[in-house]
Amino acid sequence: MAESSSLRRVAWLAAAGLAAVIIGWPVARLFGVALERGIGTLIETLAGPQATVAIWNSLWTGGSIAFLAVTGGTAAALLTERSTLPGRRWLRAGLLLPLLVPPFVTAFGWARAFGPRGLTDQLLGLTLPGIYGPLGIVVVLTVAAMPLAYLIVAGALASRVEPDLERAARASGATRFEALRTITLPLLRPALLSALVVVFVYAINAFGVPAVLGTPAGFATITTRLYQDLALSADPAAFVRATTMAASLVVVALVVVGSSDALFVGRGAARTALPAGAGLARSRGVVAVALGAAIALTTVLPLVALVLAALTRATGLQPVPANWTLDNFAAALDGRFLGGLAHSIVLALAAATVTLLLGALAVAAGRRRSRILGTAITLGFAVPGSALAVAVLLAYGGWLRDTLAIILVAYVAKFWALGHRQLAGSVERLPGDQVRASRASGAGALDAFRSVVVPALRPSIIAAWLVVFVFALHELTMSSLLYGPGNATLAVIVLNVQQLGDPTITAAMAVLLVGVVALAAIPLAIAGFGREPTTRPGGGAS
Amino acid sequence: MTGRPDPTVGGRPDPAVSCRGLTIAYGPTAVVSDLDLEVGRGEMLALLGPSGCGKTTILSALAGFLPVASGEIRIGGRVVADARRQLAPERRDVGVVFQGYALWPHLDALDTVAYPYRRRGIGTAEARRRAAAILELLGIAGLAARRPAELSGGEQQRVGLGRALAREASVYLFDEPTAHLDANLRDRLQLEIAEHRRRSGAAAIYATHDTAEALAIADRVALLRAGHLVQEGTPADVYERPVDLWAARLTGLASIVELTLPADVDPGSRSGSPGPTPAGVAGADQAPLLSTGRPIAAGLVRAIVRPDWVRLGGAIPGRVVTVAFRGAHTDYRLATPAGTIDLRAGGPPTAALGEPVGWSLDRVWVPVEAIGGD
Repeated sequence: MAESSSLRRVAWLAAAGLAAVIIGWPVARLFGVALERGIGTLIETLAGPQATVAIWNSLWTGGSIAFLAVTGGTAAALLTERSTLPGRRWLRAGLLLPLLVPPFVTAFGWARAFGPRGLTDQLLGLTLPGIYGPLGIVVVLTVAAMPLAYLIVAGALASRVEPDLERAARASGATRFEALRTITLPLLRPALLSALVVVFVYAINAFGVPAVLGTPAGFATITTRLYQDLALSADPAAFVRATTMAASLVVVALVVVGSSDALFVGRGAARTALPAGAGLARSRGVVAVALGAAIALTTVLPLVALVLAALTRATGLQPVPANWTLDNFAAALDGRFLGGLAHSIVLALAAATVTLLLGALAVAAGRRRSRILGTAITLGFAVPGSALAVAVLLAYGGWLRDTLAIILVAYVAKFWALGHRQLAGSVERLPGDQVRASRASGAGALDAFRSVVVPALRPSIIAAWLVVFVFALHELTMSSLLYGPGNATLAVIVLNVQQLGDPTITAAMAVLLVGVVALAAIPLAIAGFGREPTTRPGGGAS
Repeated sequence: MTGRPDPTVGGRPDPAVSCRGLTIAYGPTAVVSDLDLEVGRGEMLALLGPSGCGKTTILSALAGFLPVASGEIRIGGRVVADARRQLAPERRDVGVVFQGYALWPHLDALDTVAYPYRRRGIGTAEARRRAAAILELLGIAGLAARRPAELSGGEQQRVGLGRALAREASVYLFDEPTAHLDANLRDRLQLEIAEHRRRSGAAAIYATHDTAEALAIADRVALLRAGHLVQEGTPADVYERPVDLWAARLTGLASIVELTLPADVDPGSRSGSPGPTPAGVAGADQAPLLSTGRPIAAGLVRAIVRPDWVRLGGAIPGRVVTVAFRGAHTDYRLATPAGTIDLRAGGPPTAALGEPVGWSLDRVWVPVEAIGGD
């Protein structure tokens, strides 16, 4: 095996070199710049009124969002994976729906649905007070992040809490609630912790939602403050503040993430849901309808409101067919939009492909040697997008400023982990004996790889590519800090139009953006998300 | 095997478990349909059947993990499940031992066994004291502080058994509890389980696909095929008088022999002389004892022969096709004019592969269901 171990060494060197260039150097540069004026200046900057308020706002909204999303996601996972709710398949798909909608579009949708002059205001005279401000940010980001918590907890329910463990508790005399308290929740603890961390990092990383709902109300978070300081200000003090806050954002994220693996506990597990049995029988229908109604209210209604706003001739008119028009879409589909679409697609294609190749390279480096490499790759994912964008700008802004390439570097740094983990996971699950059996049947190393490994990995290769493609397509946080004149991405253009204040055109653009993302995500949905678990009836022997 | 209540005596107490017209379905597919089953107090019933025949499904419905589509389940005379209502598992008087052990990764052996006591409102100290006594009884007191990850398969299942015993239920459900263990350990543990169950005085249903296990430990055996009950009886009943060829093959090695019957035979009666003779065999003077589950007319008939009903040495010709020395005994397969016959004899092999041998039949069984052209 000397040949293959030298191949591994080459792969490791290449992957480590690229990780250093793409992730290591920018992050190092960020800390270098943040610290170059000395600790005193750093503390002074952080203690300044604007920074303090922004940091505090990010922390408390992030904490609230993490708590609410994990509570909601756990309840939803228990309902869909541990009961025989009618229409579970649709409820699952509905719970994952927010993943397809860029969070800032969800924010538009909520404003159009529940805000002043929104849908419920027009139809019922009801508005959600505080939609512009921290309450709106917390609610919308909770809705947007709930699928993440749901996926982590549902995965852990499938992989760590076999239904027999809960059945054994019931057969030992525990009520449904006691079994939940003494068995299910203790076993889920690592997943719950991981979900809290993931959602917290997601929330403090969020830029679009606070930009849409917080900025008009004068509510700043770290990310919107960074954007103000970096994109809209020429003041050198603002630049210092931006780098300092970006570095502190990295520190917060890393402290919270703690171990690199906290981000990925319980991912990608197969579902083994079996009906948990008697009980809940009478209320099943009621619970299913309630869950469906919650999904409709929080996810579907905002999208409907957005579509209606896009179809309505002018803001404030009743959303009835008499007032409908396609003019907004025609106006939205201008040169800027199509240019943005082209940039986004090129970037997403490139990011997905490069990420996949880098993921394969890291996997090829082997598991033993790639601990540090894996940590570096995960670091790129854990570092909040705003901070990562600042870091990349500091490292490569000199010669790549205002090019698509610098955005691509940031995307790759951010999404490398997605490609790597997905591939590494399925390589680990691939039984070594299959490859050995192929070699023992007369296949050469390359032949065995082609005939046994590739077919087994094909679904995860496709899934990894698509996930990165979809994420890159609606990425806003990093793009909004890195774009230059003439190379804005689609999401950036939609946000800019919104900030110029044309609600109907913004709505039309947002609907088109969701349409593009949904189109890209259809193969992903077919590849697995909504799939019904294979329930094996009876016959326990295996 | 003692303690079996006589099903013909009226006015006896309610059986420990009774299922009437039990149908269990996953979606539109009925996995078990119209099943009637009864287990007497203190009785151990083995549910014997191949993988996927519905054993686990039936136990799940009895334990309350699965709803019943129609029919009813009574435990200790009380209806616990029918098409409309299901009593929750914790409210049934039932303890369960799982095939995959189902031990909780975050609890050690002592707290696992103490768990059922805690659920009954017994304080931690007292629950642990009682749990320690059970671990002592099972000979695993030394493992009290270990979690499942630190236990072998056999140890894990002993803890699982302890947890079920701590339930102090009147019915135990064993779902292939030894299926994941290696052969030596399996034999030992199944006898241990049977012994602890017997001493608890509770009734039990023991699902297994292992014939030897079912015959060794059960008071009564129920043969299950595709969710239907094929036959029920004592281990000797189902071994010696299987209802058809499928039941015969499920309960042990069974060969088919073709016989010429000189006179009609009534069910239940035993053939005297002149008896049946293997078809196509001239000069087979010794006629086997024939028992039958149905009236049969004179002429050709197919019968079932167990390996221990055949002896080497005799007037019927044959040739050895396979020989397998198994230590305490040797298994032969003979090609004969009357069919292919499996034969078991004590000690090491006395006939070699390919060797012509003479053999004789002690007894044969003609099942209720005629044997086809198998």
